[in-house]
Amino acid sequence: MMARLRKADPVLLGLWISLFVVAILWIAPFVFITLTAFKTRPDLVRTGSFGLPTTLAWQNFSNAWDRANLATTALNSTVIALTKVPIGIFISSLAAYALTRMRFRGRHLLFLVIAIGTLIPIQVALAPLFRLILSMGLLNKYLGILLPYIAFGVPYQVFILRGFFRSLPRELDEAAQMDGASHFVIYWRIILPLATPALAALFILDFVATWNEFPIALVILQRQEAWTVPLSLQAFQGQFGNNYTEMNAAIVMAILPVIIVYLIFQRYFVSGLVAGAVKG
Amino acid sequence: MQETLPLAKSKLLTKRNNRFNLQRFTPLLFLLPALLIFAVFALYPMVNALELSFYDWDGVSVERNFVGLQNYVQIFTQDPVFWTAVRNSIVWVSMSLVIPTTIGLLLALAVNQRLFGRSAFRAIFYLPAIVASIAVATMWSWMYNPILGVVTSTLKSLGLGRLAQDWLGDPNIALYSIFVAYVWQTSGISMVLFLAGLQGVPEELKEAARVDGATPWGVFWNVIMPCLRETFIVVTVLTIINSLKVFDLIVGMTSGGPAQSTQVLALWSYTQSFGLHDYGNGMAISMVLLAITLVIVVPYMIWASRGDEA
Repeated sequence: MMARLRKADPVLLGLWISLFVVAILWIAPFVFITLTAFKTRPDLVRTGSFGLPTTLAWQNFSNAWDRANLATTALNSTVIALTKVPIGIFISSLAAYALTRMRFRGRHLLFLVIAIGTLIPIQVALAPLFRLILSMGLLNKYLGILLPYIAFGVPYQVFILRGFFRSLPRELDEAAQMDGASHFVIYWRIILPLATPALAALFILDFVATWNEFPIALVILQRQEAWTVPLSLQAFQGQFGNNYTEMNAAIVMAILPVIIVYLIFQRYFVSGLVAGAVKG
Repeated sequence: MQETLPLAKSKLLTKRNNRFNLQRFTPLLFLLPALLIFAVFALYPMVNALELSFYDWDGVSVERNFVGLQNYVQIFTQDPVFWTAVRNSIVWVSMSLVIPTTIGLLLALAVNQRLFGRSAFRAIFYLPAIVASIAVATMWSWMYNPILGVVTSTLKSLGLGRLAQDWLGDPNIALYSIFVAYVWQTSGISMVLFLAGLQGVPEELKEAARVDGATPWGVFWNVIMPCLRETFIVVTVLTIINSLKVFDLIVGMTSGGPAQSTQVLALWSYTQSFGLHDYGNGMAISMVLLAITLVIVVPYMIWASRGDEA
C-alpha cells in the first residue's frame, strides 16, 4: 500500500506521514497512563515516561479496584445506565412519534422548545435540582439520579428520533391506519421495528453519555456507596492522587469499558453525533 | 399529515365516530411521559433558578429574603471572581473557535482523502471524545505532574527542560494547560462534523474546477469552503455551547484554582451555591450563563428548523 502511495503521489505520502505523527500524539496520553498503571513505584521513578515496566504490576489494578470501590461504583453505573437508557428512549420515541405522525396545535413550537432544550447547559439548574431531589427524599437513591438523567436526555433523544421517524415512509402507517390499527399499534408494530438502527445507535451513545456523566451525579449522589464511576475516579484523585501507579490503574479500568464499546460500535457514534448536530 | 388521503380519512372517522373525541387526546398521551418528566426535572429547576436569583438564601435556612436585582448588582459590581470567570469563559470560547475547529477541519480534509488506514485515523482522532471528561482531567493532571509527568519529562529529554512549568499550579498558565486537554478531547468532534459536511461537496464540482485549472488551494477556497457554509454554522454554535458548559475538566484538574485563575461561569455558579452557600449569587450567575446560551441557541434553532414545516 505504501509503495503504491509513494509511486502515486508525494503529496499524499507527506499527508499520510503527518497524519501518522498526529495520530501518535493523539494516542500518546493513553499509552502513557497504561504504562504508568503497570509500573511498580520504583519503576515509576527509574524508567522514563515511555519506558516499559520491568515487571507488570497487576496488583495496582486490584489495589485501585478496592480503594476506588469500583465493585460498587461500576455496579451503580451499570444499573443506572441500563435503567435510564431504555426508559428514556421509550418515552422519547413516544413523543417523537406524536411529533411526526399526529397533528395537533403547537406541534412546531413544541419541537422548537425541545430543540432548544438539547443545548441548554445542565449546570444552570444544578442547585435547584439538588433542592428538588432533596425535598423528595431521593438523594443518594437510584430513582433520584434516574429522574433528572431521563429528563435532561429527553430533548436530544426526541430530536434524533423525530429526525429518523420523519424519514420513514408515511405509506406504511397509512395502510395500517386504513386497516383500523390504533396509533399505539402503528408505533409499536411498524415504526419501532423500522427504527431499530436508530434506536441501537441511540442506545449505545446514551449508555456512554450516562456512564460518563459527572455534574448531576456530583450533586445528587453524595454518599460513597451511591457513587458512580466518574465520582469515584474524582474522589480517588483527591484522596490518593499521589499514588500515581494505582491512580492510573483506576483510570484505565474506568475508561476501558467505554473504549471497548466505542471500538465495537464506532459507526453509531459518528452517525449519532452528526444526526444530533445537523438539522433533524 | 397533510398528505393523508382525504377520502380514506373521512371514511375512518365516520366508521369510528364514537372514538373521535378520544382521538383528540392521543397526541397528549404519547407526549405526556416525556413532557411530564422534562417539565418537573429539567424545566422546573431552571425556572426555580430564575426565581432564586432574586432571593438572598443560603440554601438551608427556612426563611429567604426577596432582594430583587440585588444579587445581580452584587455579582456585577462586587465580585471580582465573577469577572475572572467571564474573562476566562470568553478566552475559552475564543480559543475553541480557532484551535480545535481548525485542527478538526484539517484532520477532516486529510482523512477525507483516499489514504491507507483512514478509518483507523478517524477512530483514533475521535477516541478522546468518548472518554469521560473527568477521566480526561485525571489523565492530564498526571501528565502535567511537574516531576514525573510526561509533558515535563518529554521537554527535558528534548533538551528543552527550561520550558517546563508548574503546568496546573501557575495561575498564569493553568487555564491554557487545561485548554490543551480540551483541544485533545474535542478536535475529533469538529473533525466528524466537517467530514459529514465534506461528504456533501459534489465530486463533479471539484473535478470541474480542476479541469478549469484551479490549484488545490483554489479548489479548497472557492469550491469546498462555500459548500461547508452550513457545517461552519453548526460547528460554531456547538463549539460555543460546549465551551460554555466546560465544568468536569476544570473541576478535575484545578477546581477553579490556583487563586481562582481557572474559574469559568458554570463552575463559579456551582461554587457559589454549593461551596459558599450563596444560592442567590449562584443562581444569578446561572442566569447570566443561561442568557448567553439562549442568545446563541434560539436564533440557531430557528435557522436550523426553517423549512421544517412538512
